[in-house]
Amino acid sequence: MRCLLALPLVFFAAVVSAADPSLRINALVKRSWEEQKISPAGPCSDQTFARRVYLDLAGRVPTEAETKQFLEDGRPDRRRHLVDLLLGSEDHTQHFADLFDALLMGRAAESVYDQRTTHGWRKYLEAVFRDNRPWDEVAREVLIARPENKEDDGAVWFLYERKNQYQAIAEAVAPAFFGIRIECAQCHDHMMVDEIKQAHYWGLVAFFNRGTNKETPNGPRVAESAIGGFSEFANLEGSSTPNLLTFLDATTVPEDRPDKDEKQTETDELYVASDVAGDPREPVFSRRKRFVTQILDGHPLIAKAMVNRVWAILMGRGLVHPHDEIDSMHPPSHPELFEWLSEDFAASNFDVRRLTRSIVLSDAYQLDSVRPNETLPPESFAWYLERPLTAEQLARSVQVVMRGHFQNDAHVVRILRQQVLDVLPDAIEIPIKDALFFSNNNAFDRFVRESRGDGQLLQQLLTYESHERRARRLIETAFNRPADDEEVRTIQAYLESRNERLDAALADVAWSLLTSAEFRFNH
Amino acid sequence: MPNRKTKLTCGSDEHTVHRRLFLQGSMSAATASVASFNGLFSIPALAEETKRSGKKCILLWLCGAPSQFETWDPKPGTATSGPFGAISTSLPGIQISSLMPKCATIMDKLAVVRSMSTKPNEHFQAIDTLTRGDKPRPPFTRPILGSVIAEQLGQLDSPVPQFVLLDPCPEGNEFKGFKAGNWAGWLGAEYGPVRAGGDYGIPNIEKLDAISQADHADREALRSFFSKKFENDQRSAAAASHNAAFDRVKGLMSCAPLFDLETLPKADRERYGAGAFAQHALQARHLIENGSTFVMVANGMPWDNHVFQHEMHQMLVPELDNILFQLVTDLDERGMLDDTLVIAMGEFGRTPWLNEARGRDHYPKAWSLAMAGAGIRGGVVHGATDAGGYEVVDGKADNQNLFATIFSALGIAPHEEYDLPGLPTFYRVEEDAEPIAEVLA
Repeated sequence: MRCLLALPLVFFAAVVSAADPSLRINALVKRSWEEQKISPAGPCSDQTFARRVYLDLAGRVPTEAETKQFLEDGRPDRRRHLVDLLLGSEDHTQHFADLFDALLMGRAAESVYDQRTTHGWRKYLEAVFRDNRPWDEVAREVLIARPENKEDDGAVWFLYERKNQYQAIAEAVAPAFFGIRIECAQCHDHMMVDEIKQAHYWGLVAFFNRGTNKETPNGPRVAESAIGGFSEFANLEGSSTPNLLTFLDATTVPEDRPDKDEKQTETDELYVASDVAGDPREPVFSRRKRFVTQILDGHPLIAKAMVNRVWAILMGRGLVHPHDEIDSMHPPSHPELFEWLSEDFAASNFDVRRLTRSIVLSDAYQLDSVRPNETLPPESFAWYLERPLTAEQLARSVQVVMRGHFQNDAHVVRILRQQVLDVLPDAIEIPIKDALFFSNNNAFDRFVRESRGDGQLLQQLLTYESHERRARRLIETAFNRPADDEEVRTIQAYLESRNERLDAALADVAWSLLTSAEFRFNH
Repeated sequence: MPNRKTKLTCGSDEHTVHRRLFLQGSMSAATASVASFNGLFSIPALAEETKRSGKKCILLWLCGAPSQFETWDPKPGTATSGPFGAISTSLPGIQISSLMPKCATIMDKLAVVRSMSTKPNEHFQAIDTLTRGDKPRPPFTRPILGSVIAEQLGQLDSPVPQFVLLDPCPEGNEFKGFKAGNWAGWLGAEYGPVRAGGDYGIPNIEKLDAISQADHADREALRSFFSKKFENDQRSAAAASHNAAFDRVKGLMSCAPLFDLETLPKADRERYGAGAFAQHALQARHLIENGSTFVMVANGMPWDNHVFQHEMHQMLVPELDNILFQLVTDLDERGMLDDTLVIAMGEFGRTPWLNEARGRDHYPKAWSLAMAGAGIRGGVVHGATDAGGYEVVDGKADNQNLFATIFSALGIAPHEEYDLPGLPTFYRVEEDAEPIAEVLA
C-alpha cells in the first residue's frame, strides 16, 4: 500500500518544490480580498515581526540582543533568514512539542506530564519536530503503536495513556489525525454533519477495542487480541447495528463476524511473534494495522487536518474554523487555498517545516495586527489576528524578560500550564480566574519579585542612575519596542513616589507590564 | 464595566434591556422590534416586565441523575419499588420515599413534578439539554440557565458575582466535558459563572501579605494604564476581554469573605451537614443573601448508580433530604423564599428495573424533580406515572415545559426571541412550550 502511494508522490514533489509556496498563498489570499473588495492592513514593522515570529516559531519573546541583531541585519531578506534560523532551533522543537502535546493529549496534572516524559512520549514528540519527520509517518507510528526502534518507544503513549478506554481513543484519534469531532455521533448519526455516522463512531472504536495496555520488559505496550470486540450499538430509536470496521468514506474493512451465540476461541495460529523481542505477539488480522493501511493511508483528511492546524497555530484561526471540525457544516474560508496547501503538503512528503515556513513567509502572516475596519470578518485574514500566548510561551517569555534566559522545566512553566489551559481556543475569552491568578498567586508573585539575582532584570535596573533609564529598559525588555514618552513619565512617577523601596516598586512595574494585554497576546 | 455590551435604555436605568434583543439604533427602532416579540409582552408592559425583579435562584444540580423511586415517586408494594418504602407527608394522600423524612414535613412548601419525560439518554447530552433547556443546534450556543437568569435578573455592576457555580470536584467525569463548554453562549463571557469549590473558595482571591493594599491597587492602576492603552491603540477585543477580567478582580476580592465558610455560624454548618454538597448549599444561601442571583450547587456526579443503587441512594438521599429541608426552611424563615426559587433535579431518572449489578440505569422517559419558592405554588404534586413507574400517565412535561416554568416563576418572558445576526430565530424556550401551570403560584 505504501509503495503504491509513494510513486506519484515523488513525482509531484519534484514539480511543486520548484515554486515558492508562499507566493501561491499570497495569490490566493489576495484574490479573495479582491473578490470581496477588502483592503487589508498594511505590513507590520520589523520590530513587530521579530516579537511575533519568535513567539510563533520559538515559543517565546526575543531577548533584547536578538531583537537588536535582527533589526541591524542589513540584508533585504532578513525576515527569511530569521525564519530559517528559528525553524532550525531547539526552541522551535520544544515549542511545537508543547503545542502538539496539548493538542494530541490534552492538558493534564503534573504527575501525568511526568509520565509522558518518563515513558518517552515527550522525547518522541521532540524527535518528530527536531527531525521534521513526515507527518503521515507519525500518524502511522502513533496509531499502530508497535515501535520498531527503541527511540520511538514513546509513540505508544498516545494510546497507552488512554488506558483501554476505547471511546476516549476514538474521540482522540478523530481530531488528532482527521481534523474532525465525532462525539456527537456516539448516540445517533451526527445531526448537522451528514457524513459523520453513528457507525463511524463505533467503527473507529472497534478498530482499537482489542487493545490492552501491557507492561513489558521494553516498557509500556498496547497488546492486541485477535478475537472479540464485536458488539452492536443502539440508536435513539432503539434499533441496533453491528459495529463494523468502518470509518468515514473509506470502504468497510471486511472481517469474519461470529454468530451472536458463537464463542470465539483463542489459538496460537491467530498470532505471529513480534519482530521486537519482548513485545507482545501481534494478531495476524490486526484491526489497528488495518485501520492504518486501509483507512488512514492516503486519506485526504490526514493532510488537511495538519494543514488546517498549522495554519491555525500561525494565523490565529484555521482555514476551517473551529480547526478540528473539518466537515460539511464548516466550509473552508478559502477552499482553493485549502485544497492546494493540503495537496502541496502531501506531495512534499508531509513536510511540516516547509508548510510552517511557507505560511510565516506569506504576506498575510506579515500584516499589521490592527483590524482595518470593524466590519471585516476574521476569516478574511486581512490583518494578523491577535492570540493569547499559550502557557508555555508565557512561561518562557516571562523568564526571558525577568531573568534573561529560560528553562523549559522551570517552576513557573509548571504553575502556568496548570492555570492557562487553552491552546487554539475557538474564541478568546480571558477567564476571571486567570486575572485572579496573576494578581494574587504566591508562586507567580515570587517569581517576579525574586528576579533580582546577578544579571537579572531587577538587579540590573537598580544599578541604573535614573528612573527614566529604568522606565525605558522595562518597556523595551517587556514589549520589544521603544517606550513612548507618556509611558516613561508614568513609570517615572510611580518609581519617584516609592524611592525608599525601589526594589518592590520595580517589581510592581515589571508585574504591570507582564500582566498587561500587550504582553499577554501575540499581535 | 468597559466590556459590557451597549444597552439601550427605555426611560430609566431600571429598564435596561439587552441590545441584541432589539434592533440597533434609535429608540424608535427599538420600539418597533418590541412588536415582534411574539406578542408576549405588549409595549406598555415592557418597562414592568424588564424591571429587575430581585428574584433569585438556587439550583441543586443532582448530577448523574437520582432515582425517582427512592425520592419523589415511590412505588411501594410493586416490583419496581426498592427496599425503602414510602412515608406519608404533610400533604394528605401524598407519599414520598422513606429516605426523605424531613422533606415530608415541608411538602406544603414544595412543588413536585412526577411526570418529567425527556429524550437524551446519556449524561453529556442530557446535562447539556437539562441545563440549557434544549438540545444543541450549532452554531447557536444556547446560554445555560444561570447565564440567562444572571443576565435577566442580575445586577452586573455588583462586585458580588451574579452567577456562581459551586462544585467540589473539578475533575469530575462526564460533567467535566460539560464544564469546559461555553456556558454563557451568545450572551458573552460576562454572564458566565464564577466557579468556586473544593475548599469552598475561589483560588487566588486573597491578597498576598507581600504587598500592601495600597500597592496592590496602585500597581493594578499601572497595569490598567498599559493594558487599556494597548486595547485602545489596537482596538483589540481580546485585550478588552483581558481587561474586563482584571476589572473584576478588586470586586471579587472585596467579597472574598462570602466564599469563606469559616465566617458562617458553626451551628449552621452542622445543621446542613459535613459533606461538600451540604456546605456548598449553605454557601449558596449565603451568596444569595448577599447579592448573588443564581447559584448552581453541583457535586461531581455521585447519583449515577449503575451499581448497588440502593446502597448508594441510602447514603445520598438522606443527605439531599436534609439539605433541601434546611435550605427551604432557612429561606422561608428569613423571608427570602418568596423571592428565591430552589430547584432540585438531575438530568434524567433511573430505570424501574434493576440491572445485573443491582443498579438502576438511565431512564429519561419518566422521572421526577422538585421546586420551591419564588413563583412556585407549594403543596402541589404535578403529574403521575403508572403503577410501576414505567410511563408518564398524566401531566407529561419535558425540558421545554420545565424551562418555561422556571422562567415564568422568575418573571422572565419564556418565549422571547433571540434574534442574532446570521442565525435563524431562536427563542428562550422553543416551540411555544407551555409552562406547567399547576405548579406556578
